[in-house]
Amino acid sequence: MILSMNDVVKRYRALTALDHLTLNLQKGENLGLLGPNGAGKTTAIRVLTGLTGADAGEIRLFGKELRGSTATAIRKRIGLVPQDLALYETLSARENLEYFGKLYGVYGAELNKRVDLALEILGLSDVAKKSPKKFSGGMKRRLNIGCAVIHKPELLILDEPTVGIDPQSRNHILDFVSEINKQGTTVLYTSHYMEEVERVCSRVCIMDAGRVIADGSVEEIAKSAIFEETITLEVKEPSPSLEENLRKIQGVVRCSVENRAVTITSTAGSGNLARIIEIASPYVILGVSAQRATLEDAFLALTGKKLRDGGEAS
Amino acid sequence: MKNFLNVFTTGFKYCWRDPVSVAVLTAFPIVLIFVLGNALAGFISPEYDFEPIPVSAVVEPGGSLETFLQSGEISQFLNVMFTDRENAGELLESGDTFITVIEEDGEVSVIRPAGGGTTSQVAVSVIDSYKQIGEAMTIAAMNGENPLELLPLMAAEISVTVVPLGSRVQSATDYYAVTMLVMILLFTGMNGLELFKKSMFSETGARVLISPVSKPALVGGLLAASTVTSYIQGMITFLFSMFVYGVYWGENIPLVLLTLFGVTLFSQAFAITLLLIFKSPNATMGMMQAFIWVMTFVAGGYTKVNFGAAQAIFNYSPNSLAHTVIFGSAFGGNEQRMMTDLALLFIYVAVLFIIAFLLGKRRLTS
Repeated sequence: MILSMNDVVKRYRALTALDHLTLNLQKGENLGLLGPNGAGKTTAIRVLTGLTGADAGEIRLFGKELRGSTATAIRKRIGLVPQDLALYETLSARENLEYFGKLYGVYGAELNKRVDLALEILGLSDVAKKSPKKFSGGMKRRLNIGCAVIHKPELLILDEPTVGIDPQSRNHILDFVSEINKQGTTVLYTSHYMEEVERVCSRVCIMDAGRVIADGSVEEIAKSAIFEETITLEVKEPSPSLEENLRKIQGVVRCSVENRAVTITSTAGSGNLARIIEIASPYVILGVSAQRATLEDAFLALTGKKLRDGGEAS
Repeated sequence: MKNFLNVFTTGFKYCWRDPVSVAVLTAFPIVLIFVLGNALAGFISPEYDFEPIPVSAVVEPGGSLETFLQSGEISQFLNVMFTDRENAGELLESGDTFITVIEEDGEVSVIRPAGGGTTSQVAVSVIDSYKQIGEAMTIAAMNGENPLELLPLMAAEISVTVVPLGSRVQSATDYYAVTMLVMILLFTGMNGLELFKKSMFSETGARVLISPVSKPALVGGLLAASTVTSYIQGMITFLFSMFVYGVYWGENIPLVLLTLFGVTLFSQAFAITLLLIFKSPNATMGMMQAFIWVMTFVAGGYTKVNFGAAQAIFNYSPNSLAHTVIFGSAFGGNEQRMMTDLALLFIYVAVLFIIAFLLGKRRLTS
C-alpha cells in the first residue's frame, strides 16, 4: 500500500473539511480524486503530505507515518504538483528544475541529465534559459509538473494541474501523466474535470463534503449510481399500439412517442434492447440510440450537484 | 550543508533579480541622498537646528570675557551660567553643561569632557572666536580706541560651524547619506520577507516544505541569502555615496560597516519574527513599514521627540543607535556611548533571532 488515510478528520473552526475520510492507493495505481470546489480534495492532499496536521485519524505513506526520522526518507519518494503555480519567477526554467532536483538530493551529472530530459519531454528545451514570467499558461503548468518529477518520485500527487490552460497543453499534460504512470509511478490526480479523470485514471474516488462517496472504476461508479437508462428509436409512422407494446416489456418505466421519436426509459441493467428492437421490427426503424451513463450523471445522482461549478443541480 | 548552499544560492538569485528590490533598495536611496543633500539642504539642513548650549563660566568680574559672554549675539549660541570652579565641575560632571570656560590671570581655557560630541565642539568654537577677538582688541587699544566697545560688534560677526575631528565640516549630504542608508537597510527586511513568503508561505513554499530539506538548512539558507543580498545593496549605496558624492564616513570604516551589518541583520530578524507572529506576509509588511517610518522620522534625526519616556524610547530605536555610532565615529562622539549603542543593536538582533527560533520551532515543525 502506497497511501492509506483512515478515518481522517480535519476541521477549520466550524467547517469540517475532512469528515472521517478513508482513502487507499495501491502501488502503480492512477487514482482520480473527483469533487466540486470545497469538497476537501486540496485539504486531503495537504494533510497527507504533512503540510497541515489532521485532527484525528491515521495517515500512512509507504506503510509509515510521516513523522520523526522516517519523514525525510518518505518525502524523497513523493512529488507534489500544487494547484497554483509553484515556481520561482525570477529564475529560469532550468534553474527551477535544478533547484527542486537538488532539494531532493539529485546533483551533478545526474541532475543535468534529468533536467535536459525533463525540458525535452515537457517541450521547454528552447526556453530553458528564460524566466517562467515570459511563459504561456500551458508552459508554466508543464514546468510546474517538471519540478515535481525531476527526482523521479514513486508517488506523484497532482492537484488540479490543468486549470486555466489551452487544450493542446492539457493534452500534453494528460499524456505525460499517463506515460509516467505506465512507467511505474503511482499517481493521485485531483480534478473537477470529469473527462480528464475518465481519460487518465484507472480508478476514481468521488469526494463531497470531506468524504469519499463513491470508489471504483468509471464503469463501476456509473453502474452503481445510475438507476435508469434511456433508448430512443426513430421510427417511420409509429402507431399507438407500438407504444402500448413497448410499455409491456419488463423493466420499462416510461415510454413516449413524439413525431418519429419513441423514447423508452428502463431500469438500469435490464438489458432489453433486443426485445425493444424485436417489437419495433414491423415498423421502418430509421435509427437507434442509447444514452450511456457517464461519470457526470453518476456524480449528479450521488451528490445532487454539478461537478464543474459545484452548484446544486436544477 | 549541500541543501543550505542550494537554498542560499537560489534565494540570492531570486532576491537579486527582483527588479522592485533593486529599484527600491539600491537606486532609490542613491537618488534620495542626492536630492536631500543638495536640492533640499537649504530647507532642512540639520546645522541650524539647535538650542543655546549650556556652558558654565568661571570669569574675572567686569572683564572682557564676561562682557563677551553676556552679549546678545553670544546668547544665541551659548546659555552661560557664571559660577565658581567647584560648582562648574559639578555641572560638567552631571552633564548639565557641555563645557566649562575658565579665565585666570588673563588666560582663557576650556574644559571639555573626552568624546564630548558635536555639541561641545560648537561651544568650543565660539570660545575660540573670543580668543581671535582678543587679538583684534589688542590692536584697537594700540590705536587708542576703547576695545570693549568693539566687543558686541565683533561678536555679531561670529558664525558657528561644526568643526569635527580631522577638520572636516559635516555637510547635508554627509548627514542624509547616513540617515538614508540606515533607513533603507531597515527596509531590506522586505528581501527576507519576500523570500520567506515565497519559499515557505505560498504554493512554492508548500512544494519546498514537503521536500526532504531540513528546516534549519531551509531557514538558514533563506536568511543568509536575504542578509547577503541586503548588505550588498547597502554597500552599493555606501560606496556610491563615498566615491561619487564624496560623503565623509569617518576614518573608522570597519566600525561603520559593522554597524550597517548590524542594521541589516536587525531588519531581517525583525521581518522574520513579525512573519512568524502574524503568519501573514501582508500584515507583516504593514507592521514593518509603520515601524520603520515612525522610527526614521521621529527618532532618526529628521525630527526630534523631546518629551519624557517617548524621547528615551526613540533614543534607543535601531535608527538612533546606528546614527550615534556612525556620526560619533566620523565626527567625534562619545566612544563609550558609541560602543554601548552598537552592543545594544546586536543585542536586539540576538533577542529577535531567539524569539524567531522559538516561534519557528513551534510553528514550522511538522
